[in-house]
Amino acid sequence: MLMPRKVKHRKQHRGRRTGAAKGGSTVSFGEYGIQALEPGWVTARQIEASRIAMTRHIKRGGKVWINVFPDKPVTEKPAETRMGSGKGNPERWVAVVKPGRVLFELSYHDPVVAREALDRAIQKLPIKARVITRKEGF
Amino acid sequence: MAEINLKAETGRPKGSRPAKRLRAAGKVPAVVYGLGSDPTPVTVDWRELRQALTTEAGLNALIDLELGGDTKLSIVKELQRDPVHHSVEHVDFLLIRRDQAIVVDVPIVLEGDAEAVTREDGMIDHVLTAIAVHAMPADIPNEITVDISEMAIGDAVRVGDLSLPAGVTTDLDPEEAVVMASISSTSLEAAEIEAADAEVAAEQAAETDAAGEGAEPEAGADGDGAEAAGGGGADAGAEGGDEG
Repeated sequence: MLMPRKVKHRKQHRGRRTGAAKGGSTVSFGEYGIQALEPGWVTARQIEASRIAMTRHIKRGGKVWINVFPDKPVTEKPAETRMGSGKGNPERWVAVVKPGRVLFELSYHDPVVAREALDRAIQKLPIKARVITRKEGF
Repeated sequence: MAEINLKAETGRPKGSRPAKRLRAAGKVPAVVYGLGSDPTPVTVDWRELRQALTTEAGLNALIDLELGGDTKLSIVKELQRDPVHHSVEHVDFLLIRRDQAIVVDVPIVLEGDAEAVTREDGMIDHVLTAIAVHAMPADIPNEITVDISEMAIGDAVRVGDLSLPAGVTTDLDPEEAVVMASISSTSLEAAEIEAADAEVAAEQAAETDAAGEGAEPEAGADGDGAEAAGGGGADAGAEGGDEG
């Protein structure tokens, strides 16, 4: 699973997820992409599950790009713990995603199989997303 | 290259809220600059803009911008879009001269099917999708086509291999790759999975063989036992028969 090799601070504030993606909103490397339609946190597990769903479906002869990286630690307090005593322990890593962000890109020769693979990957994500293609022109 | 007329209205109010109102009314806020002139905020009609930019020339269409009574030759320098709805938010028009070369991005289009690559589970990696070229406005090509039907795994088409039309040059490194045919990462991953599956299957087969070999004497022992039990039963029956 994706995670930073080392971080400056172990715990972060949750932050806000307002507005739309500032960059990374177009398909840059492949021919098809998965674009987020709502904000959310995508965990490293979900990213890996989506990647596996895609690669298992296309089997051979394609390429997958992952455009997001889970670099935000999320903490949790243990179950049945009283409040207080500081912030919980880092449990997982998430990528902050805003509407418009392209999460994955795919290059494959058969458009039908490529779309099906991306649809399967979307099923693994916690947010609404859609399949987009590389757009040239107006 | 055909030129298209586009009306632009000057004197638009600045700011995000008036711009939003303009977009709601079917207009697109824009700015015109270049050739040493000050940037002028203008407004264009969305339908007319779409008509102007959906010709064969695409985004590199030469536009005769009707601006305050006179017509100026221009080209779209930048098109800002909404990341989710993909609607046009703002346009930059760059004023140009017919006798002055300009730099524009021309799309590279792939032609044909690379059957040899597909057959070997490879993929066509389209690395460079547009190329920045120097050309006179009238010489700007609509697109540059690259034939990939003869490509095999390991082949690459580089910038130096592109056939640029006369009067069109590029500053890019001739060795930079445009299209590459390679074995994809998913193919390698699939091969690894298959190899792992084959290994597991071989291990399981070896285990079952070993179990089968080990089971034969056991089965023989069971058989002996069964025979012994059967014999015992028969004996018992015989004994019972004797008793009866």
